Amino acid sequence: MEEITKIKKEIDLDRRGFIKKVLSGAIGGSLLLVMPATAREIAEQIPGMKEQTDLFIADKKFAFVVDITGCIGCGSCCIADKNEYQVPDGHYRTWVERYIIDDHDEVYVDSPNGGLDGYTEPRDDIKNPIRDTFFAPKLCNMCENPSCVQVCPVGATFRTEDGFILVDDKRCVGCSYCVQACPYSVRFINPVKHTAEKCTWCYHRVRQGMLPACVNVCPVHARKFGDLNDKSSEVYKLLHEPHVISVLKPDMGNKPSLHYLGLRREVI
Amino acid sequence: MQQNFKSSYNVHVVRILLTFVGMIIVGSLLRSLLLPSEFGDYGHYRPGAVTEEANREMRNKTNDSCLDCHYFVKKIHLKGVHEVVSCEVCHGAYSDHVKDGKVIGEMPVYRGEEIKSLCLRCHNKIIRARPPESIKMIAMPEHLEEKNVRTDHVCNQCHHVHAPYKWIKEAREMMGLPEKWEGGSSWKK
Repeated sequence: MEEITKIKKEIDLDRRGFIKKVLSGAIGGSLLLVMPATAREIAEQIPGMKEQTDLFIADKKFAFVVDITGCIGCGSCCIADKNEYQVPDGHYRTWVERYIIDDHDEVYVDSPNGGLDGYTEPRDDIKNPIRDTFFAPKLCNMCENPSCVQVCPVGATFRTEDGFILVDDKRCVGCSYCVQACPYSVRFINPVKHTAEKCTWCYHRVRQGMLPACVNVCPVHARKFGDLNDKSSEVYKLLHEPHVISVLKPDMGNKPSLHYLGLRREVI
Repeated sequence: MQQNFKSSYNVHVVRILLTFVGMIIVGSLLRSLLLPSEFGDYGHYRPGAVTEEANREMRNKTNDSCLDCHYFVKKIHLKGVHEVVSCEVCHGAYSDHVKDGKVIGEMPVYRGEEIKSLCLRCHNKIIRARPPESIKMIAMPEHLEEKNVRTDHVCNQCHHVHAPYKWIKEAREMMGLPEKWEGGSSWKK
C-alpha cells in the first residue's frame, strides 16, 4: 500500500513538473512574441555624429559632389527622397534631368515626373547624330551666399552655422518669394502645408550619423557626401585634386557647396 | 500775442514726441508678443527650427538594418553584383515596415511584369543617356531572342533579382559550360 502511494506521489510530482514546464514555456514563448525585439543600433555612416549634442555641428564642413559621368538615371535617389519626406506628387526635393546633345550643339533636356519613374522611353525627336548624353541629378546647392535667405521677409529660412540652409515651417508664411529667388529652382510651396520646402541634404539623417537618403541608395555611387575638414574623405580629395569639377551657375555668386564632377557647360 | 504763438509751437513738438514714444512702445510690445523668445540668438531665425529639423523622423534606414532580420535574403543579396542596390528602393521605406522593433506593415514584393519594369529602370539600353561601362545594359526583347527563350519571359525567370548571376552560374556549372561565354547566341554552340 505504501509503495503504491509513493508511486502515485511521484507521478503527481512529475505531473506538476510537467505542467510547470509547459506553462513556463508557453508564457516565455508568448512573452517573446509580445516584447519588442531590441532593435540593433545601425553603425554610423558619418563617424562621431552621435556624440554631437550642440545646436550646430562642430568641426565639420559638409560638401556634396554629384558625379555626372557616373549617374545611370535609375531614379533610386528620387524614390528614396519621396520615401523619406513623403513629398506630394508633382513636387520634387531632388530630381534627375536627362541631357542629350546632338552634333549641331542642340540641347534636349527632359525629366518625366522628375525621374521618379525612371527613364523608360528614348527621345525620338532628335534628327541629328547624338554627340553626348548624360543625366544630371539636381538638389539643393546649399549656397554660402543663399539668395533665398536674403529675401525671406520673416526669417523662416536661414543658414545654420554648420552650413545647412533650412526652412522653419512654423514661421514660413508661404509668400513664395524664396521660390522665385533661388537660381537653381529647388524650392516649392508644399500644397498641403502651404509653406516653402526644399532639399535639406537630409539634415536629420546627418545629425544621426547617417548619409543623406539619396547618397545611401545610389547604386553607382554617383552621389557623394562628406566632410571637407577631413582630409582623407572622398569629397576632400575630389575637390583638392585635379578633376573636371564645377558648380552650377557660378556667375550668380551664390557659392554653392554642391559640386558636379564632369559637368558640361550645357547644364544649367 | 507773440507769447501765445510760441506756446502753441511747443505743444506741437510735444505732441510729435509723444506720438513717437507711443509708436515705439506699441511697436516693441507687438514685437515681443509676436516674435518667439529665442528669435535672433544666432541670426535672423528661430533656433528651435534647427532642433525640430534634426529630430525629424528618419524613414529610410540602410541595407544593414533590413538584412539584420532578413538573413536568408542577406545570404543571397550580399553575394551578387546587386549588393549595391538598396532594399528600400524596390520594397519601400523601413519605417513603413518596422516601428519600435515590431512589424507594422507588409512591404510590397513585385512579381512578373512589375519586376521587369524595375529591372529596366537601370538596365535599359534604349535610354542612350548612361555611361556604358558602369552597368550591363540590354534591349528588350532582343536580349530574350539572343538567349533563345520565349519573348514573354520576365527577368526573374532566369535571373535571381537579388543576385542576378546566381542561377546562371549554377546552370553553367551543371551543364559544364565555361564561366565566361563570348558571342551572341550562347547556348547553341
